[in-house]
Amino acid sequence: MIEFREVSVRYPRAAVPALDHVSFVAERGRITAVVGPNGSGKSTLVRALLGRVPLASGSVLVDGAVIDLRHRRQLAMRIAAVTQREESVFPLTIRDYVSLGRYPHLGMWQAASADDHRAIARALELTGTENFLDRTLDELSGGEWQRVRLARAIAQGGDAIVLDEPTTFLDVGHEMAIFELLGGLASDGLAVMLVSHQLNLVARFAAHMVLLHRGRISAAGTPDTVMQGSVLESVYEWPLVVTRDPAIGSPALVPLRVPARPNRTRT
Amino acid sequence: MTPLRWTLLIVLLVSSMLIGVMFGTLRLGMHDVINGLLGHASEMNNSVVRTLRLPRVLLSALVGAGLGAAGAALQGATRNRLAEPYLLGVSGGAAVGAVLAVAFHAPHALIPVIGFAGALGAVALTLLVARAAGGHGDARTVLMAGVVVGAFANAAIMVALANADAMAVRGALWWMMGSASDASWTQVATLAAFVAVGLAILLAMGRAIDVLALGDDTAAGLGVNVARVSLTVYVAGALLAAGTVSAAGLVGFVGLLVPHIVRLAGARTHRSIIGSAALAGAALVVFADLIARIAMPPAELPLGAVTAIIGVPFFLALLRRLA
Amino acid sequence: MLLSACASEAKHSAAITDDFGDSISVGAVPARIVSLNTTTTEIIYAVGAGAKVVGRTAYDIFPAEVKNVPDLGPGLHPNVEAVLAMHPDLVLLYASETNREAARQLRAAGVRTASFRIDRISDFARVTRLLGQLTGDTLAASVTVDSVNATLQRVRSATATLPHPKVFWPFWESPIMSVGGGSFVNEIIETAGGKNIFAELPAPSPTVSFEELLRRDPDVIVTGARTQAKLAGDTRWRTLRAVREGHFLIVDSTIATGPGPRVGAGAESVARLLHPGVRF
Repeated sequence: MIEFREVSVRYPRAAVPALDHVSFVAERGRITAVVGPNGSGKSTLVRALLGRVPLASGSVLVDGAVIDLRHRRQLAMRIAAVTQREESVFPLTIRDYVSLGRYPHLGMWQAASADDHRAIARALELTGTENFLDRTLDELSGGEWQRVRLARAIAQGGDAIVLDEPTTFLDVGHEMAIFELLGGLASDGLAVMLVSHQLNLVARFAAHMVLLHRGRISAAGTPDTVMQGSVLESVYEWPLVVTRDPAIGSPALVPLRVPARPNRTRT
Repeated sequence: MTPLRWTLLIVLLVSSMLIGVMFGTLRLGMHDVINGLLGHASEMNNSVVRTLRLPRVLLSALVGAGLGAAGAALQGATRNRLAEPYLLGVSGGAAVGAVLAVAFHAPHALIPVIGFAGALGAVALTLLVARAAGGHGDARTVLMAGVVVGAFANAAIMVALANADAMAVRGALWWMMGSASDASWTQVATLAAFVAVGLAILLAMGRAIDVLALGDDTAAGLGVNVARVSLTVYVAGALLAAGTVSAAGLVGFVGLLVPHIVRLAGARTHRSIIGSAALAGAALVVFADLIARIAMPPAELPLGAVTAIIGVPFFLALLRRLA
Repeated sequence: MLLSACASEAKHSAAITDDFGDSISVGAVPARIVSLNTTTTEIIYAVGAGAKVVGRTAYDIFPAEVKNVPDLGPGLHPNVEAVLAMHPDLVLLYASETNREAARQLRAAGVRTASFRIDRISDFARVTRLLGQLTGDTLAASVTVDSVNATLQRVRSATATLPHPKVFWPFWESPIMSVGGGSFVNEIIETAGGKNIFAELPAPSPTVSFEELLRRDPDVIVTGARTQAKLAGDTRWRTLRAVREGHFLIVDSTIATGPGPRVGAGAESVARLLHPGVRF
């Protein structure tokens, strides 16, 4: 559904492009995960989709049509994004916050319709956040906040959700809960595009993985194709082995300890 | 904001306006005031109520409403609690205009007009500087540009004042400190139009500001054209502030303080923050103007000095709370 | 009286003391005078030393020939280098704190510098006598002082028994700055047989509120022609009885620049306006 076609992005005064002819498709009904080391261009992909960085070349397409940034609302009705950073200088109540997911659907002075209320109620229910409606964002724990952000994205009601590092700072339980939720959304037919550091978790949930390295795709395909020890070792510049998760058989990465030698430091 | 709180706010504003009309150097009873409003009192009392006090109270209310709403909107759009209506160079530009008017011996009646023009010029300059530095979409760039233009304005003021005569400097200084003492019905009508349009635009932008307050990327993901909405809010807020400046000079602290007060009172979404900041700002300035009129008879205090005296301790308390 | 007594004593010790407390030697008659206070400039001309003036402030307009003298800029925070460039042997400053440093610098440069505060009519007589000593013509100074004092006395006696109308004399309209009790203009009003409605305020030009003005209800407003036109057409100002009834007295606003040699004539012109037909 979301297609990146030969997308290149170059930040002003940067020596190398942040994205260099990147092409892949995030289909409906599956989780597409973009992984890669820090600075590999993962977040730039999300910003390119949101029209927050100019493309040096290539295009981003939604259902075969190049996205038109003059119609951002239409885009927002189809694709919801949970970006990496969000500010809450003026914290809203959870009710108001999740309702903002309906922003692209409402006219300037239009009040929320029954449809809007249904979408909000469903999002709250799916994320299990209906119990803290009257609390404000600054009163939530990290895990609650991520669920609430997801609720806002679900309330947005499109058929794609793009998330940039949705589980950073979350403990195992909260992290799993988010991934299970995303898996559920994908099985409901949504296109879920996920930028993440969590290779092992991603390998268990994603149907398609894209490994970025210095703005280029190093490997793409099923987790089995991408999670190759040799590929990952060269991308992450660290010795590692890939094993199999004993319970479900999905590939899992184990970074190795290295003996302390002065010339073997991480670059 | 609950309906009860909205009602209380309206009651607060209406009663501050009634008190504003009732009290002054001249003592008028309730009876005189009502008859004066209706035009049935003595000629003297009629004119005190209808020519002096009523336009003054209304002008103060409009100034407060404009500053409160502009401050609330600009704080939201820049995601900065310390943002205020004069942020984009409005105060510096207006002051430069006023001082130049004085330096070049322009008629005193032209000071507000030239001050307004100066404010607009400074806002345009700020936005151009911000644009050259990276775009209107980035709140931090706009804030920095405002600081730069403000510093430039200060320098220009000093140059212009170097040769002005003492009385004229005092007049310009008085105007810069803000005062509703020259209120006329014409000014009330002009500012009312300004506030109506500016407030309507900012209220219309209320939801977009809620989204903008979450950050630029999130706002873009929700379908907001960040650069365009920011620019609209900046321009509407700055015009509103410039309108109040041309009516009553620089009245500090109102636009900074009032949004914090209404947020503490429970306003969360920007439509309610902006609306209630307009009401609360109006009540605050009407009250401050009353103090300016009666605190030190027979002298009158500059309005901006009174709002600052009220505002500073209030703001310190707020900072302690927020810290 | 006491001060002029001091001054005459100073003559014998060949030095006078200015209002900064600095002492200035008396003896060498100055040939090049810079006067950076409009009132001292007028006095210097009145005591016959005008031809020696080589520098003035940007605001000097009296007497008319002063316009041929180089303009050295402001009288407060003066441009010391511009003053030195005129090679003066006497510099006259207004004795406000902002000028203390300039006076020190000029003295350090070896220039005789005297600073005077001329705010009240009594300062006029005192400073004129001191300037007479400095310029070496005490007789001319005495004549000037006596002439002004005689005029003031004549005006005062002529109006003393007449009813004193309530006078409002604004220096500025926005904010309203009135002549206060601390101003020599208040003395002019009183000498001319009027009662300044803000006489009890100690400041020379206090800011007053419009309602206070309304409450004090002046009989006449003393102002310039341009201000009169503006006030007469303003709805707010028309709430004042004097404005509605057109009781404006149009004066030459330069009367209010300072208590100089024209102060007697100024008082006389105000008295003629306040009491038409009065004979002096």
